[in-house]
Amino acid sequence: MVGRLAERLYRNARIGWTALCVWLRYKTPRWWDALLRREPGKRDMAAIHQRNADQIFNTAVSMRGMLVKMCQVVGTRSDIFPPQYVKTLSQCHDRLPARDFETVKRVVEEDFGRPLSEVFSEFSPTAIAAASLAQVHRARLVDGRIVAVKVQYPDIDHIIRTDLTASRRVAVIYQRFDSNPMDFIPLLDELQRHLKMELDFRRETQSADRVRGFFTNDPTVRIPEILHEHCTRRVITMEYVEGVKVNDRAALEAAGIEYSDLMTRLMRIFNQMILAHGFFHADPHPGNILVNRSPRGKALFTLLDFGLSKELPEGFGLGLFELMFSMMTFNESAMLRAFRELGFETKNEDDATLLMIARRMISRSDTGAFQGEFTEDMTDEMFDAIRENPVVKVPIDFVLVARAFALLSGIAHTLGQRANALDAMGPAVAG
Amino acid sequence: MAGLSYSFEELLQEPAIEEPLIAGGVRCHGGYAGGQYVSPRSAVRQPAIVAWRQRLLEEGQPLVHVPEKYVPPNYPNYPQAKFLLKEGVVEPVTRALTIISIIEGFGARIREVKVPDFSAEIKESVEGTAVAHLANGLFEAHARDEAGHRNEGGHKQMWEAARDLGLSKPHVPGDVLLRLMTGGVAGERVRLFPALSERMENMIVMMANVLIVETFAEDTFAWAQQLLGDPEISADPKRAAHVIECIARDEVPHVDYLTVALSELRARTLVSADGKQEFAGSDVIDSVFRRQLRGMATQRPRQSRDRLRDEIRMAIADAQRASVIAKRFEDLDSGWVFPHPDDEALDILLTAA
Repeated sequence: MVGRLAERLYRNARIGWTALCVWLRYKTPRWWDALLRREPGKRDMAAIHQRNADQIFNTAVSMRGMLVKMCQVVGTRSDIFPPQYVKTLSQCHDRLPARDFETVKRVVEEDFGRPLSEVFSEFSPTAIAAASLAQVHRARLVDGRIVAVKVQYPDIDHIIRTDLTASRRVAVIYQRFDSNPMDFIPLLDELQRHLKMELDFRRETQSADRVRGFFTNDPTVRIPEILHEHCTRRVITMEYVEGVKVNDRAALEAAGIEYSDLMTRLMRIFNQMILAHGFFHADPHPGNILVNRSPRGKALFTLLDFGLSKELPEGFGLGLFELMFSMMTFNESAMLRAFRELGFETKNEDDATLLMIARRMISRSDTGAFQGEFTEDMTDEMFDAIRENPVVKVPIDFVLVARAFALLSGIAHTLGQRANALDAMGPAVAG
Repeated sequence: MAGLSYSFEELLQEPAIEEPLIAGGVRCHGGYAGGQYVSPRSAVRQPAIVAWRQRLLEEGQPLVHVPEKYVPPNYPNYPQAKFLLKEGVVEPVTRALTIISIIEGFGARIREVKVPDFSAEIKESVEGTAVAHLANGLFEAHARDEAGHRNEGGHKQMWEAARDLGLSKPHVPGDVLLRLMTGGVAGERVRLFPALSERMENMIVMMANVLIVETFAEDTFAWAQQLLGDPEISADPKRAAHVIECIARDEVPHVDYLTVALSELRARTLVSADGKQEFAGSDVIDSVFRRQLRGMATQRPRQSRDRLRDEIRMAIADAQRASVIAKRFEDLDSGWVFPHPDDEALDILLTAA
């Protein structure tokens, strides 16, 4: 009890201190300007953003829990935060030191209601990966099957509640004292909703099963089998799959995988989820996509980690397709229709702003014309344009899809290929 | 007779029109002159294609040709589709029309076909031929016709407009893209002439495919015109059918230039990528054309019809009087028999120019 209270105080103080430092870095130069009665000069805001992002990142990594998750959410919201925050805080993926084995063992035994050795004949004490909410271990079931076991940290529920409360307090204080405050409360609400879902691992297993169902007739896609009888709210036991990281060219070559059309195949998989099924794996960073060699030497994909999966509203896929199509043909009236169908809103029905965003986006493509690929440059430009024009309201679904396409584009560029969504609209090609 | 060599801009030149085509509130390409619909980019392109065809005729060369008997009828046929609409089962027709519009739009990808170096890979000169103008205006005009360009809608938007006019802006089923993307697993294409450059073979395959699709589409135009022009089931029969008629008219130069260009290639000698081998154009074109036609006239449309039939049965199952509707729907089937892949007549591909 005392330990928890002390921890709560420490976390509150650390969050408060970080927030104060960030706030002061923005405010102090303005106060100096006011004191010396001089016009606010042009400052290198990028440097201030970067220092703040670095401090938040370090605090999050040392305190873990909700703060890491918050960093990940900020890392997906290029429409709100400057690129220095997005780039720095999105590094919070899978880079955390693992917890000790005893902690993991306790959770598994508590949830299964029996000793670890009754379920697993082997359980590697070293984690394969550790993230904000859980870590993954390789193990062998008593029936001999090799599995990956994802175990949630035992105190994570408490940490998240503490951090959310502290963050809300900081946000309220900031809004009271700042003359022109940014409203962080909706972001915290979104984070709370998101964490509530993500903490229940049964939801993640359902997402994996659902996506596997999309590809039952496509032998080129594999979603590790979930062993439901060995899953709980805090533990997921799944088939153990090895493979080459999707953007590791040297490893792909060493494994004899012919990868000249790898991106078209991968885009087809994401197109099917996003455009056709309206439910998708929203975090396609390279660590979540493994590749194996088919008997014909082609790429077979394994998708991992369905913690961030998203249901899209009906008609979203068709709306997105229409937007891409109208951008390809420079048809501005069709572009406007598509923006509206996707849920973009402007104050005063201001069409010109939406068109300006599309034009800026297209201007950043490699060829000066949109051919079906949302590159990182294009999405960065789009989010810059949106941030500069607060009259525009962007649907969160679009933000997540654009981010997923940008991540895929990043993988494509590492492989010297393109992540062209329109090229990948046809049926699957035999593996 | 028109000349045989044109610039890119000339081939895309618009004819004079007095009034633009507005379909379902959307500004489309083309327009009216003297009360008649005039296709877009037709001022120079159409007479040019006639001239290139005439040249082939004078050289005594035959034209590649898709035999009419292999053109599969649209499924569901007109009586079946009309029956479904009358019974309130609108979704299958809406889905079919929407998928057609999307596929038409994808026709724009023809502008991305990379043409080979004709001077190195064709023994004879191609000066003054349709082949010489493929990347110099013909593909681009085709792409713009299909997908639209800037603020002028193309066939994609025209099909959507015809659908919305005829069926009163029906709800578009959310699974349209799903049907498009999950139509089975395609086999990987094996190259027939690996000694030729990849660009040359890919270009020929693409052109043969598009020509076959465009020829098959002629039956779809007739179907849509009849269906959406039927006052018993169409909300705006006159305008809806007219939009389809305009599309059908725009498609004629596509079939014509592809036919002429493939026939020109057929009459020439193709040179391998390393410059060491020569292939009679007729061997290459006929082999590619036969293979593509066999695939597209036999197995593939049969699978596609079977899938569609299942979908329609599911849609009917949701309707009242489902069993009565299902029986009547099946009774209206035309009983079309797909040609067998081994049918030797599929090899007869030529007709006099």
